[in-house]
Amino acid sequence: MGKDTKKVSGTIDGRETSVPRGSILLRAALDLGIGVPTLCHHPGLPPDGNCRLCSAETGGRLVASCLYPLRDDGFVVQTRSPLVVEARRFVLGLLLSRAPADGYLLGLAGEYGAKADPRLADGADGCVRCGRCLRACRAAGSEAIALVGRGWGRKVAGPFYEPPIDCVGCLACAQACPTGAIAFSEEPRSIWGRDFGLARCGSCGAILGTPGELARSGVEVTLCPSCRRREYSRAVASLPPAQS
Amino acid sequence: MRLSDPIELEALRAVLAQGPAPVRRLWVCGGPGCLAAGAGRVQEALQAAAGEMGLAASVEYRTDLTGCLGLCERGPLVGVEPEGFLYGRVGPGDAMELVAETLLAGRLVGRLAADPDLPAGSDQPFYRPQTRLVMRRFGRVRPDSLEDYLASGGYAALGLALAGLSPGEVSRRVEESGLRGRGGGGFPAGRKWASCREAKGPAKYVVANGDEGDPGAFMNRSLMEGDPFSIIEGLTLGAYAIGAGKGFIYVRHEYPLSVERLGLAIGEAVSRGLLGPDILGSGFSLDLETVEGGGAFVCGESTSLMASIEGREGQPRVKYVRSTEKGLWDCPTLLQNVETWANVPPIVERGPDWFRSLGSDRNPGTKVFSLVGQVRRSGLVEMPLGSPIRAIVKDVGGGARPGRRLKAVQTGGPSGGCLPDGALDLPLDFDSLTAAGAIMGSGGLIVMDDLSCMVDVARYFTGFLMGESCGKCAPCREGLVLIHRILDGLCRGHGRRGDAAELSRLADMLSRTALCGLGQSAANPLLSTLRHFGEEYREHEEEGFCRSGRCQGLFQPLIDPEACTGCGASQKVCPAGAVRGAGKKPREVDAAGCVSCGACLQACRFGAAKAVPRPGRG
Repeated sequence: MGKDTKKVSGTIDGRETSVPRGSILLRAALDLGIGVPTLCHHPGLPPDGNCRLCSAETGGRLVASCLYPLRDDGFVVQTRSPLVVEARRFVLGLLLSRAPADGYLLGLAGEYGAKADPRLADGADGCVRCGRCLRACRAAGSEAIALVGRGWGRKVAGPFYEPPIDCVGCLACAQACPTGAIAFSEEPRSIWGRDFGLARCGSCGAILGTPGELARSGVEVTLCPSCRRREYSRAVASLPPAQS
Repeated sequence: MRLSDPIELEALRAVLAQGPAPVRRLWVCGGPGCLAAGAGRVQEALQAAAGEMGLAASVEYRTDLTGCLGLCERGPLVGVEPEGFLYGRVGPGDAMELVAETLLAGRLVGRLAADPDLPAGSDQPFYRPQTRLVMRRFGRVRPDSLEDYLASGGYAALGLALAGLSPGEVSRRVEESGLRGRGGGGFPAGRKWASCREAKGPAKYVVANGDEGDPGAFMNRSLMEGDPFSIIEGLTLGAYAIGAGKGFIYVRHEYPLSVERLGLAIGEAVSRGLLGPDILGSGFSLDLETVEGGGAFVCGESTSLMASIEGREGQPRVKYVRSTEKGLWDCPTLLQNVETWANVPPIVERGPDWFRSLGSDRNPGTKVFSLVGQVRRSGLVEMPLGSPIRAIVKDVGGGARPGRRLKAVQTGGPSGGCLPDGALDLPLDFDSLTAAGAIMGSGGLIVMDDLSCMVDVARYFTGFLMGESCGKCAPCREGLVLIHRILDGLCRGHGRRGDAAELSRLADMLSRTALCGLGQSAANPLLSTLRHFGEEYREHEEEGFCRSGRCQGLFQPLIDPEACTGCGASQKVCPAGAVRGAGKKPREVDAAGCVSCGACLQACRFGAAKAVPRPGRG
């Protein structure tokens, strides 16, 4: 199947737009400068549509804008209708019950008038189960962690809830986490209950990464980027002048 | 022997159909309920008894296991051909008498009649209102016998199709039949077929969903165990119509007999050339296999089911493109419930007009229901769509038990809804149920009487769905827990003002924001009970009163001296010794000693014990 180059037109919040058929609603909205709150979405990772925060209204129903393709001409989308606002208030209240101290969620909660429900207080462990960490882990080349269990008891963990053996300590998961729920230490390196050694730049001693992370890249690295640049510059400068 | 073309198939079918019919047969029900109640041992005992009487070698008498006979509650059942007697609660010890009296002499053994109040036979009120289409072979064939299937009209449709119907014509017949998906949604099957036929892809698949997981539902299971070939023939016709070469039957592993029977049936069909490569010499091939699910309820949802077949986690995907375009491995996939598939062969054979003559205009055909709960006769029932609910509950099921009043009918499994007894005249079809706030679902029908608390019922189903939620999306994962906790509070007397209003808001939002069908329908039990039984919520919330005598501590039993017969049943069951009285005099409840457990209410067969508010509450 070739790339669909046909364009479809419609409106988002009353603003006319024309996009390639199949464009994702969230992208189209952002291109128009229409802000849509997201949580499980990360521009560098495959979308999952699980947090439902980016819900938008079209044809009387709510869709997840991070995954909804604009396929038909004449689409009419509302990203801030009363229904959307109410849905976000509902979803934010639930997410906030998991991460009641998260600044980003608190900011949105203020905007939408959402509150964490005290009846869910025992679930407040900071993690909103959005799975950005595992998608980041997979994108970085490992599959060390997963969302384990189901329903309310679902949580991010390594196999058998043990420190994950496939983790290389790259911290991509922690970096992708929207609520800062993953405990880690940069130096000395530890995460998910495991400690990792650190490879250092042979010249300046800066952290290059963990040995596992470097091995995963498949390229042998001994210098940090700035030292490597300096070494290359020196090497170039010491070359004999080119003969013309 | 492999059949090499449709003509050979016809010839074999003709021979089998004319074969020497046994004079009399005892059909032992091999449905899930009867097997659990010991039908296997009954059949062995009958076999042995017949042997002892020197009948083993005779072809004129047979005792075999067959598909579900329907009146599950009275199992193990034994049906008698041709007399039509139906025996219930048969034990191995009854075998000698049955062989001597019925098998040899054709006489009824009155004490074993399945329904002692009624004439024995298929004119029983349980069967009279029914139309058995999907279940037509139950009680007539051995489910594991391809020969029985062929002799009873099986594979006539496939023979007909391969002898001269184009794939387009097969699809057209299903499209024009108006058949709607039997798995729950009632989506027009023909639309799926047409869209899948037109879709382009490197491969196409047919899939049967046998992942029945609703509490109290066993219609798909009975079908897979009672007539596996009908599902396989349906799938074969579907694959022929859309051009699929590979198919899967997805069955939960808690149904080992279904898996086994389907597997055997697939093997039989392949060995006869009715499945596998070059079916009936037509050049059309279909490779079919069973896939066992791990028992996650969410895997009955189509995208989760397909993820599971692909070997991934059984979780739904957000899909704005239909499975008929991008399903299994992103290829066009025709996924239908096993019951939908079983409807296909008769439609192809007898045509859309015949099918439309059954059921109602927009809901043609029949539907299998599992009728359970507080009803006199429970079991597996097949009715023309559009029959009034009353016909099932009152005529087939016999209505409420003695001394009890019918309160609600819950349809559609855990994601279905509860309808009040005032809705009994509603036609049982996809559209009417949806309009009333319930769903057809896969066909569960749970009857509840005045001792069922509707808040407690909502709590139960919400709890079930909460446990089965995969936890992928926030509304279902967190929202169901919140709803369940509020409901639990109401049932324990910790309700707060505004709870019902809050529940109503949460339920509405959950249905609108959840990712998959499970989450979107998870609030149905709550929404429908709020809609039809709002008064009970108000009583729980404001008065701490449960009128049904179900929620412990939220009521006080009171025995009406006028209605009490002094039978003493309530006294016998009271764990606190709080029911007082003796002889044939009316009983009394000692309020101080009562622990408000409701046992006396359950025990009273005369409707004399009632739940009233506890003094000092509200």
